[in-house]
Amino acid sequence: MNVALFSQLSTLGSSVVLLFGIVLLCRRSLRAYIEAFRWQSLVQTALFVVVGHFGDAPELYVVAVVFFALKVVFIPRYLERLAKGVGAEPESQPYVNITSSLVIAALLVLLAYAVMRPLVLTSQLPTRGGLPLAMGLIFVGLFIVITRKKALTQVVGFLVLENGIALMAVLGTFGIPLIVELGVFLDVMMGFLVMQVFVYHIHGTFESIDVEQLNQLRH
Amino acid sequence: MNFILLLFPSLLSALLAYLVRPYRVIIGWANAGLSLVSLGAALAFAASILAGSEAPTFGPSELLRADSLSALLMVSVAAVATLALFFSPGLGRESQYDVAQLRRYHVFVNLFIFAMLLAVSANNVGIMWVAVEATTIFSAMVIPLALTKESVEASWKYIIISSVGITLAFVGTVLAYFDFVALSGRTDNALNWPVLLSAAPRLHPEVMRLAFVFLLVGFGTKAGIAPMHTWLPDAHSEAPSPLSAMMSGVLLAVALYAITRWKVVVDAALGPAFSNQLLLLLGLFSVLVAAFSLVIQRNYKRMLAYSSIEHTGLICIGLGLGPLGVFAAFLHLVCHTAAKSMLFLLSGEVLHRYRSTELERVSGLLKVMPWTGALFMGGVLAIVGLPPFGLFISEFALIRAGFATGRPGLMAAVLALLAVGFVALLRHANRMLYGAPPQGITMGEGGRWRMAPLFVSVSVLVVLGLTLPAPLEALLNQVVKVVAK
Repeated sequence: MNVALFSQLSTLGSSVVLLFGIVLLCRRSLRAYIEAFRWQSLVQTALFVVVGHFGDAPELYVVAVVFFALKVVFIPRYLERLAKGVGAEPESQPYVNITSSLVIAALLVLLAYAVMRPLVLTSQLPTRGGLPLAMGLIFVGLFIVITRKKALTQVVGFLVLENGIALMAVLGTFGIPLIVELGVFLDVMMGFLVMQVFVYHIHGTFESIDVEQLNQLRH
Repeated sequence: MNFILLLFPSLLSALLAYLVRPYRVIIGWANAGLSLVSLGAALAFAASILAGSEAPTFGPSELLRADSLSALLMVSVAAVATLALFFSPGLGRESQYDVAQLRRYHVFVNLFIFAMLLAVSANNVGIMWVAVEATTIFSAMVIPLALTKESVEASWKYIIISSVGITLAFVGTVLAYFDFVALSGRTDNALNWPVLLSAAPRLHPEVMRLAFVFLLVGFGTKAGIAPMHTWLPDAHSEAPSPLSAMMSGVLLAVALYAITRWKVVVDAALGPAFSNQLLLLLGLFSVLVAAFSLVIQRNYKRMLAYSSIEHTGLICIGLGLGPLGVFAAFLHLVCHTAAKSMLFLLSGEVLHRYRSTELERVSGLLKVMPWTGALFMGGVLAIVGLPPFGLFISEFALIRAGFATGRPGLMAAVLALLAVGFVALLRHANRMLYGAPPQGITMGEGGRWRMAPLFVSVSVLVVLGLTLPAPLEALLNQVVKVVAK
């Protein structure tokens, strides 16, 4: 088995996945958000197949299929429909502007390298090079949820965060036990469906999906 | 078999509520009846643990497991669920909610109960995570039952903050599994708690330290530990009262249970000092935030929610104080569950009568609804920690554990903050209970028998305040054996 190739492919794949996360930060329109998320999930599916092949973990093929169906087909399509339903308000003025967002994203990736250092040092895995990138994606996802103002972009941020964790699980352990993985997919799907119901609720009661107006409750 | 009796009734209830449309009151009562089966099964688990049986397991690769810690939580969850479901049929009276809303309520509340019971009976910590995440999803569906701006806002904050938080707990789970796999290779039951625990002494301390921080922040978000508590007062105050009772009474306890499970594993890898210090720090901070938030409250449901944060903080402090503290923490958890679920159910009655959650709109409660008022007074006296209620004993035990482990400074701070909370809560309660009732309000109780189940809660609190029943003491001792060796 070609370990060097495996190592390079996994690091390259993780970098591309992270890059799509950062691309989100410099976009404004909802359509661009959804598109970036779809591409990110697609690359990640390919990465799962690569790890499944080289890492001799056939369950990962199952995971890849479910992941593809859920995050490349189902969720982006639903998001687009949702965007049509509530009007695709662009992320015109996030709490942190785009230039600063990019700088902060770079710092977050550095932070991820610092945090994951002990793990990378203890690990013998050929995929260990990608672990800090996965953690970086988790931080970037968190950052998107915190700094974006539209309910829908927050949902996309949450999905990116989920992708980061799935990436870390696959790179670090070649997949968590299948039953847990399926439970996680179920949660992601239900969570997403509930969030989209709420996006409609927010749109219906506040006539916009800007979460800044959610300020009725104090103290 | 027992596991099926524990978990299946809530699923069946959800299915019944889903199938029967439009919603009828009989469904509400059927759900309440079925919840008694769950409660019976939970009590049977506790009894079998006390009879000395080893933790029973169930399912492929021992998916479910019930040791003393699980049994204690199962009984708490099932008891509060039963109480809440007996109150639920009353939600429909005087067309407070329409039939579609009531149907949705019964479907998701039962799924919510199922998820909580699954979380405390799962052997696999991955499944435990999945179940805790599911509790967020199901309960969030019920918060905006009547679509108001406030409830939509509360549920959005709840689902976003809790989902993100709980995702971080999954990072912690993956990190621990990563370390396990690096040592022992991939096995299917590696995430089973006993397997993880037996491997723990060989895990890398630096990885487990990182994992625990993620786990504590993640599950701590659901447990309402400050500074991750910001969603809690909104969600608990806007939810329909039986749901608030379950969220405050047992959902926080379930999240604390998850933290405890991981603390045991991490302690086996690192020694207890690391997790104890984190828990003491965050616990004290939670008590601090809650105490001062209580002072400025103008809304009685939010007041109760902040009091829950205070008690979560106390339980965290207990968990960080070694065996004596763990005993006190779980006794406190049981007492708080009994008291807070009762208070939230009562607050639903108050809200229904006064049509407001503002403290200044509620006065003369003792005259308007004598039984509700008296029970509310009892509940408030219990949560501020006065005798003869159980929380007095558990708080006393907690403070004693603090002094016994040589932390007088910390305990002095806790006592001072408890005093602040004490004064604030009594002042607010005073204003609700006495004074002249608002003009034009209907006098008398809502329903003759509605209050009856709550006398069980009061008796539990009083009994725990006067004596520690032998079975509970034995069970708590077993819990201490599991949690702090």
